Amino acid sequence: MRVRPVRIDQIIPSIVERDAVSHHTLEAQKVLHSMGFVSEIYAGNMGPGLHGRVHLLEDLPREPPERQWVCYQASIGSPAADVFASHPGLKLLDYHNISPADLVERWLPHLGEEVRLGRRQLAELAPAVEFGVADSEFNRLELEEAGYRRTAVAPLMVDTTNVFSPPDPRLLERLAAERSRGGRDWLFVGQMLPHKAHQDVIKALVLYRRLFDPEARLHLVGRESCPAYADALHRYASALGLAGAVDFAGSVSAGELSAYYESADVFVCCSDHEGFCAPLLEAMHHRLPVIAYGVTAVPETVLDAGIVLPSKSPVLVASAVQRVLADAGLRASLVQAGLARAQEFSVDAARRGLVQAVEQVLQAA
Amino acid sequence: MTSEIVAEIESQARELRAGGLVPEGLEDELDKCFEDVAEESLAAAYSSATRTAGAPRAVLGMPSSLAELRGRAERLVRRRFGPRLRRVERRAAVGARRAAEAGWIQVHVTADHMERLAAHSPLASRVLSTVRPRELAAPSSATRRPAIEGALLKWTLDRLSSAPQHEGGPRPVLHAECGDGRLVELLAARGLDARGADPGFSARARGDASIVAGGALEYLGATPPASFDGLLLTGVVERLRPGAARALARLAARSLAPGGVVVLVSARPEANMAKDPVTADLALGRPLHPVTWCHLLAQSGMLDLEVFEPDASDPDAREPELFAVSARCPEQARDGAGYYDGGSRGRP
Repeated sequence: MRVRPVRIDQIIPSIVERDAVSHHTLEAQKVLHSMGFVSEIYAGNMGPGLHGRVHLLEDLPREPPERQWVCYQASIGSPAADVFASHPGLKLLDYHNISPADLVERWLPHLGEEVRLGRRQLAELAPAVEFGVADSEFNRLELEEAGYRRTAVAPLMVDTTNVFSPPDPRLLERLAAERSRGGRDWLFVGQMLPHKAHQDVIKALVLYRRLFDPEARLHLVGRESCPAYADALHRYASALGLAGAVDFAGSVSAGELSAYYESADVFVCCSDHEGFCAPLLEAMHHRLPVIAYGVTAVPETVLDAGIVLPSKSPVLVASAVQRVLADAGLRASLVQAGLARAQEFSVDAARRGLVQAVEQVLQAA
Repeated sequence: MTSEIVAEIESQARELRAGGLVPEGLEDELDKCFEDVAEESLAAAYSSATRTAGAPRAVLGMPSSLAELRGRAERLVRRRFGPRLRRVERRAAVGARRAAEAGWIQVHVTADHMERLAAHSPLASRVLSTVRPRELAAPSSATRRPAIEGALLKWTLDRLSSAPQHEGGPRPVLHAECGDGRLVELLAARGLDARGADPGFSARARGDASIVAGGALEYLGATPPASFDGLLLTGVVERLRPGAARALARLAARSLAPGGVVVLVSARPEANMAKDPVTADLALGRPLHPVTWCHLLAQSGMLDLEVFEPDASDPDAREPELFAVSARCPEQARDGAGYYDGGSRGRP
């Protein structure tokens, strides 16, 4: 048995509210507290609403491994990784995946450099890290590939605010008014970043409107984090004559997000890279059938609770949507399977995963 | 079950194509259309870069063949020298970070000098524009900054006018990086001994003797302790790394007389995020969040921390571009640093 430390502190490059990794970090702190550890979060930068809960990275205590462990939340290249690397405490790493540079650097050259740095740092940290935790099997395999000796999966602690918030009544009313004029509603939720491939959902919508439902609409919810990419999507929708059919909702409140989930007919995801994809589970919680392109961690997150496609050719995606919406039996079975799948990712289950990971390290010789 | 459904869907898609319902070439056209708008959007986003650098590819990303070459070279070197190289790299990275933090204020001071020189010399201006990092190219004139107006202006002026009386009489209020000196005039109109410092010479050229040339860090660094009753910081606070931001907070605390007030007005990092991609947090020089500034000021020993909150009932103020933070220097010197607890006070 290893000596139980007094404290397990977390290091994160940047922490903000309404961000999946940040939320996970805050939840992980609660888990560590519940296990009897002193645990603080140290961030390179912090956003609004976190005062008193997060400390600056420069204030991180430096104690030996018998007294302190440090856990690094890895999702991008950062100088915070250097602080982690040089820390004397026993090291854990929680990996949330890093998007490949080739998917983002055309649009965001410096993000390309940052993710490249992130992957390099991930490999460099491997010999120093005692235990690597990943929020999906896909991510765990990447850790193994990067040289991590001991790894485990502990699911992401998803922010249930988005799931259980009552839908915004005004937005619900507006969306209902649109629906009353006919046409099905597609939904995709995710930051407007190039690896989310929003354009491929738009392409599929073009085919769906042409083949099955000329009044169909698409709602794209998520912060426009890459201005050039967002601009291209706006131009694309206009160029295809879809200006009125594609709703660029941007960043929305939890209530508004609930309203979008409640009003939609189908959730369509054509992302090229996802380390987990929490919106898939949110959609399942909201009894929304899921159709997704099966790459990276998406098949593992969806399993058999949605339609996972081998390609995202617009005709195939459009056909899948048509099949799900036209086949009431299939739709009902997907909804039921989705609810069951979402339950498997409950916060309690995710907490158990982290507790088990910490106990594994404690029990190691 | 779902694999059978997927097979059926694939079959249906094939039938749609075979039946001529999907015009031949339509999917290629959709791809091409997106490529076209993508090029337009990228060109618009990086128009200034493409103008100066010629071929867009050279600016937007490394040519794939070069990137591939670099990857091969890296793999080769790592196979040969892997573990030793990683140790050296790690040491170099830690050393470089420490050196960067230590030298950062000096970089700003030098940049301030260069800005001032550039205002006089077209040659220096050209040199500066080619060598300085984009993040250091802070706006030096007030016209390029969001204006401090309305409720934010009143809040700022009220706080700077609230310094207590001293035995030796009032001390000046300084607006560091004051641009055209508009706020200096407004402070003077309140009966304060208002001064300004700016790396640009625009106000001085108009013959305003209360404004001197100098960047914020440069000027404060050269000022004796407890020189001011009030300190207004704008501009410079938007282009500091966190390490330098902490140094500026300490410099501000040092330059204030007991009971003196510092007000810091900056762009919201959220506004920066809207213009800049998600890695804005990691970029060199960026606006910091008001809470982060509160921490830094509290750790420098300042008290009575307040953040300017816009009127929530005003629909135009829902996402204002600017925020302000104020803090007061303690009446008596204290040992140790405080920390911001989210309220209106720091504490030891």
